[in-house]
Amino acid sequence: MTLWSLGLVRGVVGQIVGFAAGMALVIASRLLFGFDPVWNQEPALVGGIIIGSIGFLIGVGALTDWFKWMRGIETPLHHGPPHGRPAWTRYFGVDYNHKVIGIQYGVTGIILLGIGGMFAVIFRTELAASGFQFLNPSNYNTYLSMHGWAALAAILLGIGGMANYLVPLMIGAEDMAFPRLNAFAFWINVPGIITLLMSLNYGWDGGWTVYPPLSVLGPVGYQFTFWAVFLIGLSSILGSLNLIVTILRMRPPGMSLFRMPIFVWAVFATSLIQLTATQFIGQAFLMLSFERLLGMGFFDPDKGGAPILFQHLFWFYSHPAVYIFVLPGLGIISEILPVFSRKPLFGYRWIALSSIAIALVGFLVWGHHMFTSGYGEYLRVPFMISTLLVAVPTGVKFFSWLGTMWGGKLSFPTPMLFVLGAISVFLIGGLSGPILATTATDLFLHDTYFVVGHFHATIFGGFVFPFFAAIYFWYPKITGRMYDETLGKIHFWLMTPAFWTMSLGQMSVGVMGMRRRIADYDPALGVEFGHVLVTIAGFTIAFSVLLMIYNLLHSAETGRVAGNNPWRSRSPEWQIPSPAPEHSYASPITVVGEPYDYGIPNSTYVHMAPLAAADD
Amino acid sequence: MNNSARTKAYGRSAMIALTLAVLTIIEFYVAISLDSAIFLMLIALFKAVIVVQAYMHVSRLWSPEGEH
Amino acid sequence: MTTVTAALEGYTQQLRNNRMGLWLFFISEAFLFGGLLVTRFYLWGNTRPELDQTIGLIVTGVLLLSSFSMNMAETAIEHGDRRTFLGGLAVTAVLGLVFLIGVMVFEWGLFPAIYEGHLKPGDNVYGAVVFAMTGMHALHVISGIIFIAIVWNLGRKGGFSPERHWGVESCAIYWHYVDVVWIFFYPALYLIGTVAH
Ligand SMILES: [Cu+2]
Repeated sequence: MTLWSLGLVRGVVGQIVGFAAGMALVIASRLLFGFDPVWNQEPALVGGIIIGSIGFLIGVGALTDWFKWMRGIETPLHHGPPHGRPAWTRYFGVDYNHKVIGIQYGVTGIILLGIGGMFAVIFRTELAASGFQFLNPSNYNTYLSMHGWAALAAILLGIGGMANYLVPLMIGAEDMAFPRLNAFAFWINVPGIITLLMSLNYGWDGGWTVYPPLSVLGPVGYQFTFWAVFLIGLSSILGSLNLIVTILRMRPPGMSLFRMPIFVWAVFATSLIQLTATQFIGQAFLMLSFERLLGMGFFDPDKGGAPILFQHLFWFYSHPAVYIFVLPGLGIISEILPVFSRKPLFGYRWIALSSIAIALVGFLVWGHHMFTSGYGEYLRVPFMISTLLVAVPTGVKFFSWLGTMWGGKLSFPTPMLFVLGAISVFLIGGLSGPILATTATDLFLHDTYFVVGHFHATIFGGFVFPFFAAIYFWYPKITGRMYDETLGKIHFWLMTPAFWTMSLGQMSVGVMGMRRRIADYDPALGVEFGHVLVTIAGFTIAFSVLLMIYNLLHSAETGRVAGNNPWRSRSPEWQIPSPAPEHSYASPITVVGEPYDYGIPNSTYVHMAPLAAADD
Repeated sequence: MNNSARTKAYGRSAMIALTLAVLTIIEFYVAISLDSAIFLMLIALFKAVIVVQAYMHVSRLWSPEGEH
Repeated sequence: MTTVTAALEGYTQQLRNNRMGLWLFFISEAFLFGGLLVTRFYLWGNTRPELDQTIGLIVTGVLLLSSFSMNMAETAIEHGDRRTFLGGLAVTAVLGLVFLIGVMVFEWGLFPAIYEGHLKPGDNVYGAVVFAMTGMHALHVISGIIFIAIVWNLGRKGGFSPERHWGVESCAIYWHYVDVVWIFFYPALYLIGTVAH
């Protein structure tokens, strides 16, 4: 086995070669069309970004099968690890098995979450005291902005990981509807992430929202961000398309829509948003890129453009994007809670439909980010009302979670603890939401740390905590071994109080007048103590996550063998061996009952065709 | 028999193209004489529906046999 | 997406998945083009730039004609008429190129030596939106022409049959989709609103 046989290595080499080729192409065409000067850094870099990403995809091999089809060559799907190489190498190259792709998504997501968290810890430390300690304002801005997009990209990857690994397993499908597209959709993230990290070299300072005119006037690092987000967005679109077809067309006999596992409903709702809204941010970022490159005046009032248009396009994606981030996590909560309550999921239909309702209402609320932007005042009240409406389907979920636990036989292993932590944290995020949705209060809280507190509580409650719960919960299915329960519990008991402190601390310094995205503050505001607390909490969270990573790596070798179904779950993926075999289901499964009838005697969800007698 | 079915299908294709052409000409004259954005968008919508239905045979999505 | 040994039932299942996937892609793209239309109406309102009406009408007609030839090609392979099939594809690709030349050489004035355009992307918001809309559309026309070239080449070598021609079908409906987009872009760019000076 040589290094060259790893797709990732070939991809990176392809990206470097492509980057050079793209720059050369831009220089050549400037020469051809008589531009002066021939060398211009920004267009050359953009050419490099675009061709470099294509170079990566060619190098890694994500396009190989499609190139063969173009020449009329059939390419049967290869199953199992690659020939003549160790099995682990399949994770570093193009592989069409959804479980491999799910792990690829998940691990890349955790790594990127770590990078994003590292940026946060860096600038968080700077904020622990007023004045400048070790960052200058422009470094601070770059780290802050990078924290935003690195973390958001990590969340999209984490969701992709959960969806790709779990959805085909949960619906008893052999694989996703389009395995090659699935691999392509994962691998396009990697050049995107490389591009995003390259922006560090040039810097950019607009925060993740990159509003013009700042993002048009700022350093060239913006171009890297625009195109990185574009690539990651393309992955979202193609991945969600694949998931929708898989969910609609590949369910087993008997699994009607209202007998799907609730997580599948959540992924379906998420995919509907991802498929459609993502186009808007792609378009908005392309417009920014071309405003910089060609002077196209979309957002330039001097040329008749309108900066507020960008905000509309941006938030038409980025508000629903928050639901992309949290809906799968809320699905995980609803999925795990009944297992450890040994009771049916309370109000299954309502929960399923509330996901769809949140997704749909989410399209009508984007203007609540723009109360202070100077758009038409008549828009304020409608956007306020539509935003407050979101509380209804979200409340349905809370109600169902309480109803599920009520009178249940609760047990508290680590995944259950993280689910409960998620509910508590999401409650903080949820309760601070209406305060920001109400125009009158938002006018005062806009752009303060209160918003930061609200947003992080929503994302930690809706994504990070459930994601960790999912990792612990399905870890035995993925590796065949149990994680270390003690370390898991320490992780939880460090992270949860730390997060409460961080969240409430952020909100309180915000109320006291701390602006967001500002490198320094006036000690007279009285927020220094709050910042110290938030910084300590941030470090505690970072440490606890490192503990989890150690636990996951260590237990994969030394953990106790888990068996097929350590949680006594009814879901089909737990009825097959652990770790899940190459072909998940030896024979097609049939659904014969309701998914969450825990504790109801003689009830069956799935019929594992030939083994039926033994399993029931 | 096969041949006549084929000729019929080609004729249908041409008829649809003709309809679209007529609609485009109407569109152009509506723009000159009426200058109504709504009306123009309605004609465009009508043309789009024709293309989606007749040329893109969207109904194959839910036709049970799956072939044609 | 098929193996030689795959049963016909497997093919039909995959075909139905493919169709749904392609249509979902169209829905997604509709939001992209819809976003461009939103931009146009937000920034221009009830005005429009002075574009050459003759060019507009010609390229619209050419694209319409190409949809017709594309449908002929698809109908032909459904009935096993390979000559008309290949001819229809070739005509479609040529008409697509004519459309591109109309837009890029004449509307854009990409080669001032041949034709001096009247708008530049950096001029003002009119130039910006015209180039954004026609540019994004042209990108799809170019990819459609490449798609047609691939299908034509495979068809020339004996690929596709009346029973199995998803490659042709997807190429055809993609091309028609690009036409549908232009059906909305044409009035938005050339017809709606009063000319701004
Ligand atoms: Cu929002």
